[in-house]
Amino acid sequence: MQHTGRVMPFQIRGRSFTAIVLELTGAADGEFYAALDEKLKQAPHFFMNAPFVLDLDKATGIARSGDMMGLVRELRSRKLSVIGVQNGTFEQNTAALSAGLAPLQGGREVGVEGENAEVDEAFEEEISGSEEAAAVLVTEPVRSGQRIFADRGDLVVVSSVSSGAELIAQGNIHVYGSLRGRALAGVNGDARARIFCQSLEAELIAIAGLYKTSDDLGPDFERKRVQAYLEDDVLRVELLK
Amino acid sequence: MARIIVVTSGKGGVGKTTSTAAIGAGLAMSGKKTVVIDFDVGLRNLDMILGCERRVVFDFINVIHGEAKLHQALVKDKRLENLAVLPTSQTRDKDALTRDGVEKVLDQLRDEYDYIVCDSPAGIERGAHMAMYYADDAVVVSNPEVSSVRDSDRILGLLSSKTRRAERGEEPVKAQLLLTRYDPARVEKGEMLKVDDVLEILAIPLLGVIPESQSVLKASNLGMPVVLDESSNAGKAYLDAVKRLMGEQIEHRVLAPERRSFFQRLLGRTA
Repeated sequence: MQHTGRVMPFQIRGRSFTAIVLELTGAADGEFYAALDEKLKQAPHFFMNAPFVLDLDKATGIARSGDMMGLVRELRSRKLSVIGVQNGTFEQNTAALSAGLAPLQGGREVGVEGENAEVDEAFEEEISGSEEAAAVLVTEPVRSGQRIFADRGDLVVVSSVSSGAELIAQGNIHVYGSLRGRALAGVNGDARARIFCQSLEAELIAIAGLYKTSDDLGPDFERKRVQAYLEDDVLRVELLK
Repeated sequence: MARIIVVTSGKGGVGKTTSTAAIGAGLAMSGKKTVVIDFDVGLRNLDMILGCERRVVFDFINVIHGEAKLHQALVKDKRLENLAVLPTSQTRDKDALTRDGVEKVLDQLRDEYDYIVCDSPAGIERGAHMAMYYADDAVVVSNPEVSSVRDSDRILGLLSSKTRRAERGEEPVKAQLLLTRYDPARVEKGEMLKVDDVLEILAIPLLGVIPESQSVLKASNLGMPVVLDESSNAGKAYLDAVKRLMGEQIEHRVLAPERRSFFQRLLGRTA
């Protein structure tokens, strides 16, 4: 997240991408490459230049940087863009780093396994975000420590949000009450998202990764009916009439 | 069928045990068969402030683990015939509590008593979770002080999501606020949060406001619930709160700062 105080030569944001996970079930040996080539023959375009993450949970060997670099070279020669590894041992992660791969945490299943063109298109669609939008409506007070996440649309709270609570939404956030906690709108990078509230007392507000803390917001908007939005990559707050 | 009331707060030291004892005693004085249970395993206090620590043989944890029968662990209060205490262990800790064990004990008590009051430990971990899980009502104790109010807010969130009623989608736990250690003089000076400030943040009904009072410490050291001290303002406020808990509508006493007379100031006394 970036603090919008002055113009920087770069901007840092959070953004999520979908990658293909290749889970090794043993060693990266001849049998592995033969099976891989077989799979690639079935849908060459699907895998070409797609971002790949290697899941090393069941992998054996590849603990030396030489092995890792060899594996990466082999995969890249098949036009597979390996960007990182997951579930590796300490040695495997170290080898990965020296081969220019990032050890990654977390990740959510998204169902991209597919071998034919139809699935190829479905995969494209999912990435462009044409899933059904769904707003989340909350009518009880949002208590300290609670976190409400609207992952496919707006978040509407018809009550107050306590200090220490978090509202996170892909879309807009509307609070018909006092906003005392944190509100993060447009978390998937949607810079058009806005935050609306009837009484701004927030600890932090953010849109598409650009944030302002209570201190930054200053006394002018405290306890007022406001909307917050991004304009030219600056987080602006305006009184609602 | 008993109603299970949990006395909880999040923050420590705000008056949960004092309030549990006072509410338990108040209910007993109104003729209701009441049992108070100490859930603060390892840091037990309830038996001490009710003055029955010298008669404890078996405790709540013994009963949960089948080492004793419930009636062997229950201690009857010597002053109030409707009040019984289920003390907890000092030597074990909260890991000794199990959900099934707690449920079995509560089921046994439900048939014999009108009210079961559970004294929760501070925090939001296992002990507090066990104390609130089976509750029908909650008395959320808070001081008129910002960190206490925020912790109470957290507890309210847990009451609406991590209790059996919440998990089963039944009628939610009825939570009410008990504001303790209230000092009208400091409120007037602007040093302390007003009742309205706290209610605005917590947005739950007000059960009662207990004034700061020296009688609380006195009663605690004497092993006596403060409601039995007839000269205590705090005691009277607790009795009002108990009446409201049982459904009576009582006006909240106007809490104005005490105007101390010259002699009172000279002698440095308050009620």
